[in-house]
Amino acid sequence: MSFLSVNITLRGLTSRLLPPSSPTSTRLIPAMSAAFFSTTPAMAAAAAPAKGGAPKATPKKKKGKGKGEARDPKIVNMLQHFAALSPRRIPAPLRMGRNRHLRHWTIHRAWLMFRRKQREQREGTLMRQYQSMHAACEELRQTEGPGTRDQGYLYRVAMEKKGVYGHNGVPIEYARPQTETPARMAWNHEWKP
Amino acid sequence: MSRCQPVSRPLIRSLQQSHTSASLPSIAIRSFSSTPARKDEPTTTTQSSGSDVSKIEEALLGARIENPFDGSLGSRRRRAALATTTNIPFEQMPYQTFQEARKILNADRQEKIAQIVKETAKIKRLEAADASTMRGGEAYKQKRLASLREYVEELKILADINDPLVKRRFEDGMGDMNKPIYRYLAENRWRGMDYKIITQRIEQFNVVPDILPKFDPTMDVQLSFRGSKAAPGTILDSRLTETPPTLRMQVFDAGERLLSVVVMDADVPDPMSDGFKRRCHFLAANIPWDPTKKTLSLHRFGATPTGAAPTPSTSEGDLAVPWLPAFAQKGSPYHRMNVFVLEQSGPLDTAKLKELYDGAGRDSFSIKSFRDKFNARPVGFNLFRSVWDEGTAGVMQRHGIPGADVEFKRQRVYSLKTPRKAKGWEAKRQKPKYKHLWKYTKRIGTMSGGT
Repeated sequence: MSFLSVNITLRGLTSRLLPPSSPTSTRLIPAMSAAFFSTTPAMAAAAAPAKGGAPKATPKKKKGKGKGEARDPKIVNMLQHFAALSPRRIPAPLRMGRNRHLRHWTIHRAWLMFRRKQREQREGTLMRQYQSMHAACEELRQTEGPGTRDQGYLYRVAMEKKGVYGHNGVPIEYARPQTETPARMAWNHEWKP
Repeated sequence: MSRCQPVSRPLIRSLQQSHTSASLPSIAIRSFSSTPARKDEPTTTTQSSGSDVSKIEEALLGARIENPFDGSLGSRRRRAALATTTNIPFEQMPYQTFQEARKILNADRQEKIAQIVKETAKIKRLEAADASTMRGGEAYKQKRLASLREYVEELKILADINDPLVKRRFEDGMGDMNKPIYRYLAENRWRGMDYKIITQRIEQFNVVPDILPKFDPTMDVQLSFRGSKAAPGTILDSRLTETPPTLRMQVFDAGERLLSVVVMDADVPDPMSDGFKRRCHFLAANIPWDPTKKTLSLHRFGATPTGAAPTPSTSEGDLAVPWLPAFAQKGSPYHRMNVFVLEQSGPLDTAKLKELYDGAGRDSFSIKSFRDKFNARPVGFNLFRSVWDEGTAGVMQRHGIPGADVEFKRQRVYSLKTPRKAKGWEAKRQKPKYKHLWKYTKRIGTMSGGT
């Protein structure tokens, strides 16, 4: 399959780059496509048996022609880059009738509108929560604390960050000194507390 | 019997042909037939057998068009569905997602309409309010009103922009340009490509520093000569530009206004000053225009005789300077023929325009001075170019323009530097003394220097 698509899309290129009668143009592309065009290991594995079945034929052909020259790396590079433009990578544009396209467009616009509404609602909620938190903190800052505590005591207590990293904890970043490079000895297995 | 159908198919076709054009000779219909000319065709018509009579009759009376989409094919369910659901309006098509989408969009539209009503009420209240009670005074009030009105216009567009029927009508060119949504869509389409092309032409043909110090078009102007469109900046044949063009003009803001159209040549060679001058080729003013109008034919102005004839003042605009064909004398570089559309602030005095720009006033015309003198604002632009071609002499002769026999030539500019002797290894070995080395040296020619 990959062989077909590549051969169709790059026919002009290969015919220009390679001598027209050369059998390598048809023989080398499937091997290359198996190597470069498979995106997943599964596909590569699927392509492998075809390749594995072929080798018996391939050396024979090589012997028959007596020409086993390597592929020009420039051509290989170019083909790799052209492969990105192959129809397997870029799906064809959607083709629809007019009414169907209009319906599609309507649904798309409605979907955008729906997401926008949702996003704005969420942002509004967050904003209101933030404002109400802010108002609560301001209220705390201006109240005079329990008993003889002065103004703003409650606010200071509320702003304390005690225990956010666990009980008596420190941020994990400070567990060891920060270094530019990894340690020469990654882990000291002999270490005992 | 099984061979009947394949045999009768060409037969029916040939019968149809002979039926549709029985009186015509067969030569006349030959070019329209889909089958190749065959000598044995008349013989096939004689082979009609009795079993195919009904088919032939059917073919003669009315060929059954086998359209797979007309509901005659498919499963019973499909046929039933097609039989009951033809001619449903587009917005009522029973596709679930589509209908759900329409509900969402309709709800949004209702919201927008409610917002428009609210904002309009706000505008009314603000208009009625006394400006002296506001902190910013009258200036604040006007600014607030303007921004509210702008917001309402925006809401009007937003209310309609998601309607598939509006989109369809616009794509069909059936949109009512008095409505803001269609004007908005049209402007978007123009800004998508045509505006970019026009601004590129303005830049690459140096219209901006040469003719106007600053210019950004806000309306669409397209040229067509004798019915064929001319892309901005093309070099056109002088015989084509002998007649005035038709302008397709589209404005994108609401309301009636007066426009003036100026066509000017920005590259008239002036050998006396060794430079270039400008010339006015056409000038019409007081053209009433609104977004619903599409085309302005400059022929219409040309129909009226010039000179002693009374001022051709109509409701369609006044001609001040009649069309002078675009021409470029031989040897002069291409002439930029600029078509400017200007928006007037009020009606212009045509007599004064004629006095200023007609006749001898054509030469050394300046769009900048026109703009400043008559308080007109350039809004639209397009251009074409003209060069000397085989028709130019005829055009000039037909319109009584002198100078067809003049050919401009570049003056040779000699170097002011004194000739210098060539130096270097190569120069030393140019003489015949080193003839044996000539196959290794470059022939650098004469030692005149100053190259």
